[in-house]
Amino acid sequence: MSRLIFLFTFFICFQGFGQEYLTTKGQVTFLSKAPLNEFEGKSSSLKGLVNLETNLLDFFVDLNTLKTGIGLRDSHMRENYLETDKFPFAEFTGKLVQLPTLVMANKTPVKAVGKFKIHGIERDIEVLGFLTLIQNGKVELDTSFEILLSDYQIPLPKLVFYELAQEQKVTINAILTQKK
Amino acid sequence: MRYIFLSVAVFFISIFCTNAQLERKLENENQPVDLIFHAPRHINLLTVEPLERKTMHFAIMHTFGTLDGGIENLFGLDNGANIQFSFEFGLSDKLSIGASRSSRDKFYNVYGRYLLLEQTQNNNVPLSISLAGGGGVISNPYSFLSATERPDFVDRLAYFGQVMFARKFSNKVSLQVSPMMAYFVNPRQIYQIEGTQNLYLALGFSGKYKVTDRSSLTLQYIPNLNSDLKSNFGIGWDVEAGGHVFQMYFVTSQALNEQYLLAGGNGVPGEEFRLGFNVNRIFALGQKKRKAVE
Repeated sequence: MSRLIFLFTFFICFQGFGQEYLTTKGQVTFLSKAPLNEFEGKSSSLKGLVNLETNLLDFFVDLNTLKTGIGLRDSHMRENYLETDKFPFAEFTGKLVQLPTLVMANKTPVKAVGKFKIHGIERDIEVLGFLTLIQNGKVELDTSFEILLSDYQIPLPKLVFYELAQEQKVTINAILTQKK
Repeated sequence: MRYIFLSVAVFFISIFCTNAQLERKLENENQPVDLIFHAPRHINLLTVEPLERKTMHFAIMHTFGTLDGGIENLFGLDNGANIQFSFEFGLSDKLSIGASRSSRDKFYNVYGRYLLLEQTQNNNVPLSISLAGGGGVISNPYSFLSATERPDFVDRLAYFGQVMFARKFSNKVSLQVSPMMAYFVNPRQIYQIEGTQNLYLALGFSGKYKVTDRSSLTLQYIPNLNSDLKSNFGIGWDVEAGGHVFQMYFVTSQALNEQYLLAGGNGVPGEEFRLGFNVNRIFALGQKKRKAVE
């Protein structure tokens, strides 16, 4: 009997692996569209996990890897706004509202709900996106959503020449590989 | 029984392996600290703050007459300013070269700066160390002197070298100590310096205390080590405004470059303070053109 239980839990555990997709090099872009100036911060170090078995989504990016193209602006962003020494990560943990059935080369719309955390503040958000099975064991994720900096207590600069927008459009593109 | 234990263990492992979130890990464990100082200049002294490759730092620095003239001379502003323009280019993220020109004795200076060590947030590297050195020439024609009395080219040269040790102690407090030397090939009396020796040794202290997100109280103290000249003292206020850093200060000397700071002589702090004002701007060069907005 106990041997059966063991095999059963063992089976559950390793079945879970089958539907787990991972990335370590996802792309994430924060687009700031202020009336006077438009610029984006880009990182190609998004780490992510999509588990279609247990329905778990988990993503994070080290905000130190975010680059706007001007080093001084990056330093100001890290030190004055994002405070990356205290809050180095932007994170999302959640689940899909409905588990999709992925068909090869078919962009499947999905909806995710979960917690987004940046600057030490966590909020519930809802994100629409697409999952595409691009080849066996590889899934592409495309999504974009907007956040308000004031929701995360990130102050807007009053006296700057590269004006920063209150709304930030976050765009994510990642190819996740099935864990074996 | 053994299997029960095992299955409990495997069950927990299964929670771990299927429901586990990703481990939050920094991309670079040795992430350097940001902005030990607001700019590559701090009152009059250079700082460890490096320039990024293909960026240019442009600074306009002024120091005016002494404040003791009062309102009649608008606190020294009437007495003529020493003005220095400087351009510094980042050749790499660590190495930069620059050139400056100060109006006092029409002094042209070329210099380089190299970041040897960069302080990291995890304190694996507890401080930043940077080297700077350069040479300059006094280009004033001295046409009032006869041809034989005028200094020849070699006599117009002056050099400087310094090592900068800086640490950001907290988000608010940064400190830099810079052993400095300056060497005048021939310190003639016609130059606007007070010193009469060739070699000057000093310690440069720079301090920053951040008061708001974008402004700081600044301090400068440069005790001379091998001369009787008074020490330089300065106190000021830095304001970051986007790509600009404005620096306003009171200082005891009109000198703006390293050689003159060490040899130029100083007034008594408080009594012979002068107003000073720097504008720092960093330009990004060789940026890719922005894509057309879709």
